[in-house]
Amino acid sequence: MLNGLDIEGNSPLHRLPVRGKLILLFVAAIVLFLLSDLRLLAPALALSAALYLSTGIGVAEAMRRTRFVLFTVLLVAAANYFFQSPHEGAVVFCRLSTLVLLAAAVTATTGISAFMDEITRLLTPLERFGFVRAADVSLAVGLVIRFVPEIFARYGEIVAAHKARGLPVRPLTTLTPLIILTLKDADTIAMAIDARGFRRH
Amino acid sequence: MNTRDIVLIALFAAIIVVLGLLPPITLGFIPVPITAQSLGVMLAGCILGAKRGAAAVLLVLLLVAIGLPVLSGGRGGLAVFAGPTGGYLVGWVFGAFVCGLIAERLVREEQPELSQFLSFLAASVIGGIAVVYLFGMPWLAYMSGKAFLQTAAASLVFLPGDLIKAFVAMLAGRAVLAGYPLLPQRA
Repeated sequence: MLNGLDIEGNSPLHRLPVRGKLILLFVAAIVLFLLSDLRLLAPALALSAALYLSTGIGVAEAMRRTRFVLFTVLLVAAANYFFQSPHEGAVVFCRLSTLVLLAAAVTATTGISAFMDEITRLLTPLERFGFVRAADVSLAVGLVIRFVPEIFARYGEIVAAHKARGLPVRPLTTLTPLIILTLKDADTIAMAIDARGFRRH
Repeated sequence: MNTRDIVLIALFAAIIVVLGLLPPITLGFIPVPITAQSLGVMLAGCILGAKRGAAAVLLVLLLVAIGLPVLSGGRGGLAVFAGPTGGYLVGWVFGAFVCGLIAERLVREEQPELSQFLSFLAASVIGGIAVVYLFGMPWLAYMSGKAFLQTAAASLVFLPGDLIKAFVAMLAGRAVLAGYPLLPQRA
């Protein structure tokens, strides 16, 4: 049910290390906000679209993934177009869509486990100060991926129970049992984790 | 944090993900469809308290960042943070924290029902709406360039929907407190 957004492939972007991609994305974001010349921003948008498509993602899938964010970008650009000037609208549209496409390209070329490894590595310095334990973060991520389908199925059961009793399905009457039933499992799950010795102290 | 806290955080993050899978509701008098996901932010604070609530929301955002489509409408990946509405997502973490902080200080199990309701409502409105907007609107305004006033004002169309969510969070928060109290309470 929970599949990652990464696309299998061997493009140059796929071969780049995760940290390098994140740093490049960050630098690109800063540079894009410093630029306001359309002669540079328009080619940047074309380049980022080409880069995104070079990851091997089809045009339809690429559109499907970015359409919501691009729609908000379009709204913001339209506000600039109407309230400021057409030029300003074009600048904002090019700048923000370039950034969105670059970010989508990084996501499309980075596998979940590779990204998680990088996060664990970045968290290790924090571990020394006692803020968070990197192993706990990976454990929590694993637990979420494991339990989403189960909680979704439980929601379906609660809705079915409502229908069987002839009750209207209301957010409140479904949410409360869903939350209580789910959180009540916490003790058993925690005991099972401790019994297996996953978190050595 | 003990193992139980970590499990509670993970389970609540999973609940927030499931809330995003439910179809959005359209109400006649509000121009935008309501998704239940930001309701999860208020609920995380009201039910788990400040620290664990914020951790649950942070965990969801981590899943988004590493490329899982866990936001409502199957959105995910770094592009969501790069878009104009990324600030609202960052605000979720602080919103859940403030919501939890207020709920921890105000709500008592032995209180009469009405003051519990009012405390949860205050927590949801201040943490789940005011704090989230405090992060979302400046980000949106900065991203919008020169038309920042208009876009910030336009984002207020979400306010009625969020007020309804705060009301639902109030009712659900109080119901969970009665059925399975988890909120750490302090003076």
